[in-house]
Amino acid sequence: MLKRSRGRWSWLQASLPVAIVAAIGLLAIAMEPLAAQGYTPREYGDFPIIGSRAAIWIAAQLHLFFAAFVLGVPMFAVVAEAIGIFSSDDRYDKLAKEFTRLLLVSYSATAIWGAILVFGLITLYPGLWGYLSEIFAPSMWVYVGIFFFESFTLYLYYYGWDRWKKGRAKWGHWGLGILLNLWGTAVMLIANSWLTYMMSPPAEVTPDTAPGMVQFWSAFANATWMPINIHRLIANVVFGGAIVGAYAAFRFLSAKTDEERAHYDWMGYIGNFIAMSALIVLPFAGYWLGREIYEFNQQMGTTMMGGFMSWLWVVQAFLIAVLFLAGNYYLWIGMGRIPGAERFMPYTKWMLLVLLIGAAVWATPRNMIANRAEITAMGGQFHPFLGVLGVMSAKNTAVNFMILTTFLSFLLYRRANKKAVVSWEKRGTTIQGALFVVAAAVVLFYGVYGYFVPSIVRIGFSVYQVLAVITAIILVVVIDMLMMRGAKSRGEIRWGEMPERSQYALFILAVTFTWLMGLMGFARSGIRQHWHVFEVLRDTSVDAATPALGYASIVISVCVLIFLSLVAFIFWVGGLAEKPVISGVGGGATSSAPVAGDGET
Amino acid sequence: MTNIKILGVMIGTIAIYTWIANAIPQIESAVPEELSFSSDVSEAELVAAGAELYSGGAGCTTCHGLETRAPNLLTGFNGEGTIGTRCGTRVPGQDCKTYLHESMMNPMAYVVEGGFDPMVFQARVFSGAQIWALVAFLQDQGGVVTVTGADVAAAEEADAAAPAGGPMVASNDPLDIMRGNLCLGCHMLEGEGAELGPAFDGIGSRITTDRIRRSIIDPAAEIAEGFDHLAGSMPPNLADMLTARQLEVLVDFLAGQGG
Repeated sequence: MLKRSRGRWSWLQASLPVAIVAAIGLLAIAMEPLAAQGYTPREYGDFPIIGSRAAIWIAAQLHLFFAAFVLGVPMFAVVAEAIGIFSSDDRYDKLAKEFTRLLLVSYSATAIWGAILVFGLITLYPGLWGYLSEIFAPSMWVYVGIFFFESFTLYLYYYGWDRWKKGRAKWGHWGLGILLNLWGTAVMLIANSWLTYMMSPPAEVTPDTAPGMVQFWSAFANATWMPINIHRLIANVVFGGAIVGAYAAFRFLSAKTDEERAHYDWMGYIGNFIAMSALIVLPFAGYWLGREIYEFNQQMGTTMMGGFMSWLWVVQAFLIAVLFLAGNYYLWIGMGRIPGAERFMPYTKWMLLVLLIGAAVWATPRNMIANRAEITAMGGQFHPFLGVLGVMSAKNTAVNFMILTTFLSFLLYRRANKKAVVSWEKRGTTIQGALFVVAAAVVLFYGVYGYFVPSIVRIGFSVYQVLAVITAIILVVVIDMLMMRGAKSRGEIRWGEMPERSQYALFILAVTFTWLMGLMGFARSGIRQHWHVFEVLRDTSVDAATPALGYASIVISVCVLIFLSLVAFIFWVGGLAEKPVISGVGGGATSSAPVAGDGET
Repeated sequence: MTNIKILGVMIGTIAIYTWIANAIPQIESAVPEELSFSSDVSEAELVAAGAELYSGGAGCTTCHGLETRAPNLLTGFNGEGTIGTRCGTRVPGQDCKTYLHESMMNPMAYVVEGGFDPMVFQARVFSGAQIWALVAFLQDQGGVVTVTGADVAAAEEADAAAPAGGPMVASNDPLDIMRGNLCLGCHMLEGEGAELGPAFDGIGSRITTDRIRRSIIDPAAEIAEGFDHLAGSMPPNLADMLTARQLEVLVDFLAGQGG
């Protein structure tokens, strides 16, 4: 009887997103006769109390939060499943299934907020909606079609997990996971074209160009489309990892058994690992996006970096500093449950120092708009000392040092309980050390040299700094993997024996990633200023002015609170229907411990 | 108790971020005000409107509020004083009002030396009345306001007479087309114009006819080597201000500049 009721719940849950998309389609069809009668929709609608802008902002942001989660999680679910297949380690398969369970329950929420957003646009911004749909109609139909395929692939992927568990069927199941990612990415690429068109419409489109005359592909593959695609793809992984980490932390804190605690400790570690690893490459995608924005329109670029949004980057620097500090703090505490890690603990205070200095430099402003009184108080346009640290040379140097330090934390964590047996261990470690030193020296050299060259030359230096860091990371990882083959164990990781305070670092990470995502969404959207479509379709509503950061932060905070509350509710509901999947990772002192290095990715 | 702690950490973190974002200076991006003045507009009205545009919707402070991208116009620059005091001596023979007005109508030709980036092309972003209001405000920064209601009225008349989105000049002579569309504000041709963008001299031997046409229609598509820093400066809607015949005349003329 219980089984039957679970089935009903699952299929109700499963059919909800599809029903929502069908309802939107019917509404669109119902509106057609009105258009035929010569009815002209109004340009703007009104939303009570908070206004149309805030209403559509909240709907769009919440849709994006959930969409990012349901696009990011399948990426690492399918990777975890592959690790399980190739290593014949069942724990990864169970972990992948649990990731997917989180996905399933979030999928309906994504569709609901998508529907709210579309209905919001139709009722509050009918003029803009009409304009966009006239240009992008074919891609909207394709979007809906792919959404159907994506939904059913997800249901097959999750509900077929136990049925297609062995042999060729398992490979087929993994193929479904890959297909799910392909559908999800296709959906994202289509939606990104609509919003990037609003930012960077093709040059030939002017205010006088009728939407029907805009060339579809030129509008679709506009200047910022691909940079946004890449940036979002990586950011979704970061975000998904952080939310999974917070979920695991919550489960860890409420766990009743050692086995459960060990499982969620391991899951939390993996969530953090995924989030921090992807975070390290995210700034490079950000550089590319920023460069494309400048190339598209110099004025838009300067508005973003030095205009009314200049203070936003100070707040962003603070948030990223919190991410680096919390991520490293979690790792350092985690080393307490790894035998052998004590030999690395003395280094953590120096790593903390580098992170703190890096964060301080990164948050130092330079190009701030200042009035006469402020300039007088400062003693000039720039602060006599801090002004030097505010330039990009110093900031790029700082962030690259922070990335190197975080990578070092991961490396020490990974090696903590291992003892290499290869004959070239010392030489390998020396080469690894030398790679760190060379990367740091390259970063420092170009950081200092940047002060002596024009800005246009200096911008190019960031590429050399990034390449040095990435190259060092790749080479060090390759050497480490070779060096640790067949390594002896210094003792098993005591999963589950983690102080409670470490889990709060995971919550801070999740909140900060979510808030940062909202902030960057405001930056991307806000640089259009009083244009729906930049320099093509003007915003003539009462909310045309772009608000200051204070107001934006309140809206962002409201969105984050709603999102986290809904996530908590959805995860709780999901837990009611099905029991958590316990991976069987070591259960503290009372359970059999995994082999050395297990659980590390 | 655990749940309350989790809630506390999450809400506390959100509250700190919200507080920081509210504690820093609050700058809103206002919408440029549509201005309409009668010929008896007062000096004070013009200056006030210009001040609002300058620090608000016009976005001037994005570059001119700093000293890294453009001279700060409201504070002393290079010991020459505020813009109102130095505008009359910037170009020999040009009075302050003319200089400021020309700087906005043809900004590329008036980039101040000192390693600054060229000013973003925005002469057509503002109405004539808005530009005169900005001139009045800048003159007021230490100088004497000489903009009059007659200047504004003439500009509004010109705006009203100008066809929306039509060609800037009626002539089909390539030099008239280039001068009328301010091409020579950035490009040099036989000693005329400015050396900011690639010279027109010899352009036909450097790039193909198709690329010349494409560069006019979609300037951002391909940036000439060595001119990356000017990307975005050329108006993207230039082709909309040419007739089809003017475009072809211009392309043929430039393709014929073989050097």
